[in-house]
Amino acid sequence: MNGHCNVKVNDTVEEFHCNNSDLLIDSRKSVVHHKHETSRKKDEDQSRLPALEAAYTSILRELGEDTDRQGLLRTPLRAAKAMQFLTKGYHETIEDILNNAIFDEDHDEMVIVKNIDVFSLCEHHLVPFFGKVHIGYIPNKKVVGLSKLARIVEIFSRRLQVQERLTKQIAVGISEALQPKGVAVVIEASHMCMVMRGVQKINSRTVTSTMLGVYLEDPKTREEFLTLSRSA
Amino acid sequence: MEHSKQTQFSSSDKKDAGASSVVNGHCDGMLKRAAGGSSQPPAAESGSQRPVMESWREDRTRSVEDNEMSLPSLAAAYTTILRGLGEDPQRQGLLKTPWRAATAMQFFTKGYQEKIIADVLNDAIFDEDHDEMVIVKDIDMFSMCEHHLVPIFGRVHIGYLPNKRVLGLSKLARIVEIYSRRLQVQERLTKQIAVAITEALQPTGVGVVIEATHMCMVMRGVQKMNSKTVTSTMLGVFREDPKTRDEFLTLIRS
Repeated sequence: MNGHCNVKVNDTVEEFHCNNSDLLIDSRKSVVHHKHETSRKKDEDQSRLPALEAAYTSILRELGEDTDRQGLLRTPLRAAKAMQFLTKGYHETIEDILNNAIFDEDHDEMVIVKNIDVFSLCEHHLVPFFGKVHIGYIPNKKVVGLSKLARIVEIFSRRLQVQERLTKQIAVGISEALQPKGVAVVIEASHMCMVMRGVQKINSRTVTSTMLGVYLEDPKTREEFLTLSRSA
Repeated sequence: MEHSKQTQFSSSDKKDAGASSVVNGHCDGMLKRAAGGSSQPPAAESGSQRPVMESWREDRTRSVEDNEMSLPSLAAAYTTILRGLGEDPQRQGLLKTPWRAATAMQFFTKGYQEKIIADVLNDAIFDEDHDEMVIVKDIDMFSMCEHHLVPIFGRVHIGYLPNKRVLGLSKLARIVEIYSRRLQVQERLTKQIAVAITEALQPTGVGVVIEATHMCMVMRGVQKMNSKTVTSTMLGVFREDPKTRDEFLTLIRS
């Protein structure tokens, strides 16, 4: 079964490549794992905990804190587990979470799931960024369970990320799973690395978008998506 | 006891297959420094002698030179973390991340570098024949949860009744900055701000209300997006007189 899935995925990627030659050269890489991301298995997490704890203890000490005080006694363990949770997207693959929730439905109008809360970690400063994702797609006779769109967001956001790459990975992940006529993803987020430190602009928001397929080619479709996802 | 803890850490680091010689070298350096420190009277950095109750009164002073000296070990610790999470620290996006994350963390805890009376207040205390309430509200606050090392952010509202002495308004915000840029617990932060103002000015009363969102509850754990935590400290006449407290709470709501 794994072999069968692999064959299908490669065909889709090649199709996209041919149709949109100016598109993502590295879409192949962004499917499930970047080649730099070693696949982290769930059972490895437990064994890596002591090293992470030791690293956090040394961080606390170097910051001038007293690691023996009551509030900080178990902080290295808690911080290590929190960090593992915030990067749990490395465990998961799209095949796992889709769970065969793809249904044949004679529907070819736009489907939008908006205001999906997203939380991720900036890979440059290891500080959170969070916001909302709006996803739209036009099915090609196959629709996906709605929560699966949010789960796909979770897989890619719970990693060390750059907002541009996150947007693209979500879009390409959905197109490779469903082969729809088009996918649109818009993310609007607030970056703590800009808000809490550095320039310190509290109300700044970063907006990125990826349009694939018919959303890229047809401006009216894109406009419809943008209007529907903006409305309160 | 401190010494045996370090031995434990160094042996677990050596077992870790992913640890490079650089990390081990740094750890050894740390061991020597810490071992040296334990045999001498504790440096200003690790004042573990004082009881917990008093720890919030301390002005821990960390200097800019301390920051520069700690940077390599902080960066090494972050490299270990990246590797432990299954990432490749050599890829382009992560190449300088340990240094950026270390500097960022030092910025988030820069409250440890500043002393209230000397640096911040800067003699901005003025004799003014004013004894009506002064409120500075909606002061944005960013702190770090000391339990999970994850951000807390929100707003602080401060009110005080001067006793013939008023404080420069931005100094109230600076007091918030000193205490919030630390590893904190929201309850302690509220009290520290209130007590600092009391000690600086001796006003008739001080009220501090903090409303904050804790990322440790929003991004992980229970994952309640819209939850807010509200804490308050009322000192002096704000505590004793319900009408004063009411006026303060009404004015910060509007």
